[in-house]
Amino acid sequence: MEASSRLQKAMTAPSVRKLIAAPEFGPLVLLIVEIVVFSFLTSRRAASDPFFTIFPSFLSATNITNLLSFTPELGMIALGMTLLMTAGEFDLSVGSVFGFAAIVMWTFFNTGATSLEIGFVLAMLISVAIGFVNGWFVTRLRIPSFLVTLGMLLVARGSALYITDGFPQRTWNAGQSVLSAILVGEFSIGEVRIYASLIWFILFTIIMHYVLVHSKAGNWIQASGGNAMAAIARGVKVGRTKVLLFILSAMMSAYAGITSSIRVSAANPNSGDGYELEVIAMVVIGGTALAGGRGSILGTVLGVLILRVMRNGIVMVGVPGLAYKIFIGAIILGMMVLHSSIERRTGNGR
Amino acid sequence: MATGELVRMEHIYKNFGSVQALNDVTFTVGHREIVGLVGDNGAGKSTLIKILSGAHPATSGQIYFDGKPVEIKNTWDAIQLGIETIYQDSALVPQLSIARNLFLGREPLTGPKWLQRMDKRFMEEQTRKLLGDLGITKYINPDTPITSLSGGERQSISIARAMFFESRLIILDEPTNNLGVEETHRVLRFIHNARDRGLSCIFITHNIYHVFQVVDRIVVLRRGKKVCEADPKHTNIDDIEKVITGIYDTLPERSAG
Repeated sequence: MEASSRLQKAMTAPSVRKLIAAPEFGPLVLLIVEIVVFSFLTSRRAASDPFFTIFPSFLSATNITNLLSFTPELGMIALGMTLLMTAGEFDLSVGSVFGFAAIVMWTFFNTGATSLEIGFVLAMLISVAIGFVNGWFVTRLRIPSFLVTLGMLLVARGSALYITDGFPQRTWNAGQSVLSAILVGEFSIGEVRIYASLIWFILFTIIMHYVLVHSKAGNWIQASGGNAMAAIARGVKVGRTKVLLFILSAMMSAYAGITSSIRVSAANPNSGDGYELEVIAMVVIGGTALAGGRGSILGTVLGVLILRVMRNGIVMVGVPGLAYKIFIGAIILGMMVLHSSIERRTGNGR
Repeated sequence: MATGELVRMEHIYKNFGSVQALNDVTFTVGHREIVGLVGDNGAGKSTLIKILSGAHPATSGQIYFDGKPVEIKNTWDAIQLGIETIYQDSALVPQLSIARNLFLGREPLTGPKWLQRMDKRFMEEQTRKLLGDLGITKYINPDTPITSLSGGERQSISIARAMFFESRLIILDEPTNNLGVEETHRVLRFIHNARDRGLSCIFITHNIYHVFQVVDRIVVLRRGKKVCEADPKHTNIDDIEKVITGIYDTLPERSAG
């Protein structure tokens, strides 16, 4: 009997402990708690309604449609940012590139210079150039990524404002184009309307998780952020790795911005303002270290959902939307305490 | 030298702007030889080693490897020649597992090439085997992150990695810094083992007591110049110390030879 209980302990304990020690565990629990709490709160409100319904409005098809429309767009930026931050750098220009890329594409199209598809390719190429410049300044001139990407934030935003004179670009004739169908075509699962951007987001998630965890590149990315000197001494091309990740980050932002402009039928030169901090918050909540060396794509997906569900849920519950930032701040602080305590427990005293 | 030379750095000069960091230094390492490179701060030890490991180029001078003239433009060139540099307590990436560190920069791949998938099973097997060879008594899992290891274990793993990939020359930068007495001895023993398996080592340190225990030859740099070479069996520590600090210009006659 003693033997069987010991066996039981041996079988369950390590795997359970491993699960709890995983950096994604805290965010997962928080996300579940959020969903449960918001479902409960919105169904109670519904119960006081004369047209009595117990079904939580938070889980209604309309709300899930809402939730899933914008989430993939921020999520794509967060995926690129996760790999970049794992390599020890970050990118403040993502929000500006998000706005600028859409402006570039629509300007090319509206002036009749190119078709929408060519405009898309050109906008993506410009984002590649932006990422390359960011990476080049950081790796070659050794200027901290904070300063380089802050500069790029202003350059890209300023360009978007200058090109458009501050006015939104016309976007309404996107409907019939192939590009818009590929990027944000709609279809329905039951009553929930799904945009193609969600499919792309899931695809990008799988690819980037694979790259980070299973590929050689992932080892290089983590090593670049963990100890660049050691990595270089081993022949890892740290500079090239970082430049490519800056390009990836800019491309993901541009792609997300273009997707967003087609979905909401508006290319506003100010769109994407402030996304950089929200995205960085999502990434660190998911357990990626700000200083680099450790990152998790799955954690980032959880982080994205946590913040989007929070924003959505708060409004549904009836808390003024302006209070949103208080909750975000509290979540970041709480999660950082959790991650650092896990790191202390598992990292050192073994 | 009867066994022939593995590395010969001849008439090396290095200027940083107007500062002359190295002034006509000729430095050799034989096959299966452990050379201690000692000198005060700013004597030029690291500069010399960085030139050999490809971190920065010499202003002038020629390097020979295995008797052939070579050009070392970057760290990759050095690695290709079989020169492995282990910087003080930073040769490993702390967040990565032992297995990932061991194969960093030389990841074995499996499956279709375009997928660039690491062969983790092979990595873990080899790591387990290597940890066994190291004689690390307690059981350590290959996916343990480096942060969980002691300083001596880390140094041993760095050196073992160089041995595993059949490097020919290991450059150790202050390998016994921040180590306890027991751990220091283990690392020094490890360096000896590496030599017995056919490797050559350059051992850079401030601590000439550690150098004396393991090296076959000591080279002293002072202010960018090589001031003496000595066999530790026929030299005493005090004399070497005086040469390093500049009290003696070079070794006195009685201890040389």
